[in-house]
Amino acid sequence: MILLSLITYPRAIILGLIQGVTELFPISSLGHAVILPRLLGWDIHQNDKYFLTFLVATHLATALVLLGFFWHDWVRIVKGLGRSLRDRGIGPDDTDAKLGWLLVVGTIPAGILGLLLQDKLRTVFASSNSAALFIALNGVLLFGAERLRRRAPQTDSDDDTRIARQLTWTKGVGIGAAQALALIPGFSRSGASMAGGLLAGLSNEDSARFAFLLATPIIGAAALLKLPELAGPDGNGVRGPALAGALAAAVSAYFSIRFLMKYFETKTLIPFAVYCLVLGVVVSIGFALS
Amino acid sequence: MLPPMRNDRLLVVIAVIAGIALIAIGIVYFVEPADSLPSFFPGHQAGSSHHHVKHGIAAVLLGAACLVFAWFRSAPKKTAAA
Repeated sequence: MILLSLITYPRAIILGLIQGVTELFPISSLGHAVILPRLLGWDIHQNDKYFLTFLVATHLATALVLLGFFWHDWVRIVKGLGRSLRDRGIGPDDTDAKLGWLLVVGTIPAGILGLLLQDKLRTVFASSNSAALFIALNGVLLFGAERLRRRAPQTDSDDDTRIARQLTWTKGVGIGAAQALALIPGFSRSGASMAGGLLAGLSNEDSARFAFLLATPIIGAAALLKLPELAGPDGNGVRGPALAGALAAAVSAYFSIRFLMKYFETKTLIPFAVYCLVLGVVVSIGFALS
Repeated sequence: MLPPMRNDRLLVVIAVIAGIALIAIGIVYFVEPADSLPSFFPGHQAGSSHHHVKHGIAAVLLGAACLVFAWFRSAPKKTAAA
């Protein structure tokens, strides 16, 4: 069958492993999903129906891993949201409710822009050449965020209290809207929201935490919305590789999130900026020459 | 100029109307194909049987956000405990 020859099990596992890492590292999963098949000489294109269906499974796996990793936080946040709705206000010390509503106001712009623009932007920027260029620009974005960041005084020992105190509603909307950059293959969702967090005065650790919490509903909802495609005729011939890819993505996403939460306690976005710049420039030159 | 309390109430009324209208628009997107949508709706396309589900979800989400805003904004003002 033609479909099976396009995404074989080994390819599915490789793509899944890379998806799990690149979705959470601030280096653009979609950008890598676009340029990697061309670099490896695979006849897979990001707008192919079966490939989009395959990506749904890997995204869903990544979202589930994120949800599981932050499960206790989500339980607290959802309880905080319920509490604030019941009381018709957010208590001055209710950081769970404030964080929850910050996530809601951050998710709305990204969600709406994603719903309305995703297909158009993916069609316009479908080529691996543009993805390579935008990966380089993602590097510039990460560099810029580290250079221009505002270092606000960190007064609280609790992560969520720091985030809730530091972020205003406007900043929450701004960070959420920044995620929409990731609709362009090459820009990273987590990179854009981490950059937004740094510019809003969060530390690297807090901006990473907020970015991952913010990413969970968006990635999960986007995957759930497209899940019927995997179950329908578009999923024929892709379901097996998609399952293998999803499992691989789940494993790599789990180790990535563990690594990144530790990494950002002390380190910055600079290594990822360098990686994106070098990869984007080298691949762009390579594609131009070929 | 309106006094602050009236201004708040006006905002709540606008948010409730906008919320209900957006949710209604969302339902229209769910149930009507693209060629049956009013011509001023984004996504209207003559001869198309496609349902703009994503437009519908976006409208319902925005509508829900407006209603939540109104819910918080219309809460009774708490007075400080003595």
